[in-house]
Amino acid sequence: MSQTMNKATVSLDSLNEAELDVLERKIAGKYMNMVPWGVVVWGIGNLIAWLAVWPLVLMDIIPLWLGFILATLNVALSYLPSHEAQHNIIASKGQPLRWLNELVGHLSTIPLVSPYRVLRYTHYEHHSHTNDPQLDPDFNVHANSGWHFLWKSIMNRQPGSGTGKAYPETLKRTGKEHMILDAVIYQGVYLVIMFTLAWAGYAIEAALLWWVPKQIATTYIEYYLSWAPHHPGNEQGRYTDTRGFKSRLGNLLSMGMQYHIIHHLYPRIPLSLTPAAYRELKPILQRRACNLGEL
Amino acid sequence: MKLIELLLSPIAFSIGFLAPLLAQVMLAMNTELSMPIAYGTGLAISISFGIVAQSRGSWLWVKDHELGNESDHE
Repeated sequence: MSQTMNKATVSLDSLNEAELDVLERKIAGKYMNMVPWGVVVWGIGNLIAWLAVWPLVLMDIIPLWLGFILATLNVALSYLPSHEAQHNIIASKGQPLRWLNELVGHLSTIPLVSPYRVLRYTHYEHHSHTNDPQLDPDFNVHANSGWHFLWKSIMNRQPGSGTGKAYPETLKRTGKEHMILDAVIYQGVYLVIMFTLAWAGYAIEAALLWWVPKQIATTYIEYYLSWAPHHPGNEQGRYTDTRGFKSRLGNLLSMGMQYHIIHHLYPRIPLSLTPAAYRELKPILQRRACNLGEL
Repeated sequence: MKLIELLLSPIAFSIGFLAPLLAQVMLAMNTELSMPIAYGTGLAISISFGIVAQSRGSWLWVKDHELGNESDHE
């Protein structure tokens, strides 16, 4: 095994930058252009499961504490299918399954109260300007440690937080300000539903099936998708703005984000294939002096 | 526009959601408590929090920059 690795390293050392680039893209290309059906089932199934928790709890079929656990899982799992759709991984424009890509994108993040179009275009800006204090809309989660991140994540959600304006400002800067209306409609509908449920006598159910799960899930998603893969976040550049890292919770519970560096290099590789792509690309990433931690 | 701003404000959240939530939690913990007292107390507490959140811009009173917790990049 080590001999194979050594051979690979030796042969990589003999390549110039252009040849290395061709090899890297050739390897990455093997993992692209396939429909991740698992994500389609995940995105739509997760929404149905979350919606099903409501009648199950309200009709006393399952206890509220169980509903709370299930709802928290559902909300935490609601972002990634949309993320795949944001990158057109299910189908690009003009392909027969484009409608499915957009359907998954729109439906899956309903529990998070996050509109697909806002997420998509701000996320593109995150990719284009990762770790740029002025232009990266996710820059506000940068923190010196995990605990510092937790504090910042909570503070960012306070009503007077300036960082809450990062997404609207990004949309304005990129000429997509009309999409701010999507966020206002989503938030307005969410609040009307919450207020109605609360005054109808279901405030505790609304809190434990949506409000609290949304807060927990937002923190969890921000931690693994925004903070951990970009920490310490003081470098910009294709091979330096994202890192590989070993999560104490493992790959599944860290939502596959240990391999987020692959996603930033090749956003069209489906989440489920990033570990395999990472293993094959690792010698090239090492040659490029990427921060791969203990991964 | 004003109506939307009001709907998204901390005061609306405190009256629309936190007040009944607090009242229903109190009623669940103390079944002998009367509904008007529970909802009255819920409204009083939540509106107080709502006014603080509205004026200070934070439900937690403190603001990040007041604790010097800005990251190195900010």
